[in-house]
Amino acid sequence: MSAPMLSVRDLAVSFVTPDGTTTGLDGVSLDVGEGEIVGLVGETGCGKTITGLSVLGLLPRTARITRGSIDLDGRNLVGLSESDLRRVRGGDIGMVFQNPASAFNPVFSIGAQMRMALGAHERLPHAEGSARIRDMLAEVGLPEPDRVLRSYPHQLSGGMLQRAMIASALLCRPRLLIADEPTTALDVTIEAQILRLIRGLQESRGFSVLFITHDLGVVRSVSDRVVVLYAGRVAEAAATAALFAQPSHPYTRGLIAAAPHPAARRLALASIPGHVPADVGIVAGCAFTDRCAMAIDRCATERPALRDLGAGHLAACHLAPTAGVGA
Amino acid sequence: MAAEVLRSATSVARAGILRRFRRAVLADPLALTGVTIITLLVLLAVFGPWIAPYPAQGQGESNVAARMLPPSATHLFGTDGLGRDMLSRVMVGARPALAVSVLVVLLAMLIGVPLGALAGYRRGRLDALIMRVTDLFLAFPPLLLAMAIVAALGPGLDHAALALAISWWPWYARLARGTATSLRERSFVEAARSMGVSEVQILRRHIIPNSITPILVQATIDIGTVILAAGSLAFLGLGAAPPTPDWGLMVADGRTYILDQWWLSAFPGLAIFVAVLAFNLVGDLLVDLLDPRSTR
Repeated sequence: MSAPMLSVRDLAVSFVTPDGTTTGLDGVSLDVGEGEIVGLVGETGCGKTITGLSVLGLLPRTARITRGSIDLDGRNLVGLSESDLRRVRGGDIGMVFQNPASAFNPVFSIGAQMRMALGAHERLPHAEGSARIRDMLAEVGLPEPDRVLRSYPHQLSGGMLQRAMIASALLCRPRLLIADEPTTALDVTIEAQILRLIRGLQESRGFSVLFITHDLGVVRSVSDRVVVLYAGRVAEAAATAALFAQPSHPYTRGLIAAAPHPAARRLALASIPGHVPADVGIVAGCAFTDRCAMAIDRCATERPALRDLGAGHLAACHLAPTAGVGA
Repeated sequence: MAAEVLRSATSVARAGILRRFRRAVLADPLALTGVTIITLLVLLAVFGPWIAPYPAQGQGESNVAARMLPPSATHLFGTDGLGRDMLSRVMVGARPALAVSVLVVLLAMLIGVPLGALAGYRRGRLDALIMRVTDLFLAFPPLLLAMAIVAALGPGLDHAALALAISWWPWYARLARGTATSLRERSFVEAARSMGVSEVQILRRHIIPNSITPILVQATIDIGTVILAAGSLAFLGLGAAPPTPDWGLMVADGRTYILDQWWLSAFPGLAIFVAVLAFNLVGDLLVDLLDPRSTR
């Protein structure tokens, strides 16, 4: 793996509300290498989206980054001024959102909105800008780009809108694409197309992708590496094949077991008992202790460090075997 | 083929709003009355000086020989103290009345909408500051505030318009802020931010265009209200000055003779009443038409 392009180190985010402070992220570290697709998985509320928004400096007003760093090509994005961040957004990093139908303004045409996105970063003559947008729309597989340009969001299907959204995000040739559940709102058949599209564009253009999803199946098909988040902490991180072959954190094992599998037609799906702790900031030990079948006394008192089990397979579990993975 | 279906479906949707407007107007006699009156007012404002029976008198030329004549076939609305045909005066008066109120509402929107949108989009301290300023303005009865401003600037139609706009903008600021606070959470705003679009562009292209519907409804109703307010200022001698054919001024001129020469005040007063009513009727119609929650 080449030197990481995006390197998040010990990132902690807190939400300050009138009712007190809640921890959103509690020391998340992850790397995205040059030309790599990294899947960020976890259940709702575990901090996937917060991680993505932190990178772009788009956290909600109540959220504060309390420690850690986010380095993009060696430059720390935490604490950057709004105008510097604006150059990063859309320029160095593009983002695709979950619901393409609401990610476009209903009162302007797709073309007008893409021109706005382009205009935020580059001053181009009108004709040149239009040509660039048209080329980009064709590249994301939209037939009749001219018609799409003139269309309003309600005139296009969800799949077409998501393609247009991807085109907007890639317009200024970012080096990193953050895709936050880009296929969750789409049909399964469209989902497969969009995943293929992202994969294909990534190969032809060579950007990196941070792919946020709760769907293990999606992660398995699209990403090179996987980072599993649990309650605002990294539970496990490994190459996709290694993670699915040898999940080393009990939470990852639970997630994989809970995913529906077409081969095993069991009536009841496996589930992980219990709930995510409400505020991980006050959990002294492992955040998964209460739900873990293997938990020992040490788990409740001592927070497990993210250890390298060998070959870059990281897990934050006291019981994860060091030897087992390299083999 | 699917695209063809889509295209025809959307052209129906786009034609929909005009068709719905027409159908709603035709189905509702009150709304029809309002739209008809507003159309007549606009025609009068544009062509009044040419279609009035005595255009010169409408503008202020006196004809003392025919003073204080009651309504008759030659002077349908009678004549005033300088022998001017009241019908012509009222007809010619439509232009300043509409011009002033449209100007005031536009000015109020121009000040209020960007400030309100900014407050609602930014939230926090700037929001609190802008909203406290609107509170300050709204604490005064609007007419009283406008009177105070005109008194400070000196009377005149232009000063009256400015004063009214200054006392009216906080309504638009509040309205725009309300929609902006909900719009800022919408994902297209977040998407625009994620692409590095600047705050000014987000306000101009995303927030304001999407909050324009309730603002237009308010503006329609306000045009009527401002006609009344401008008339009141003129009545108090703080608005238009003679010989401007201003409805409020005409009502004021006639008030000494209200018992014997009632037509002096009655007809311009009626004109104000009808105009305000018409804009309110159409405003109500727009509320029903544009607000999906209202059922009637």
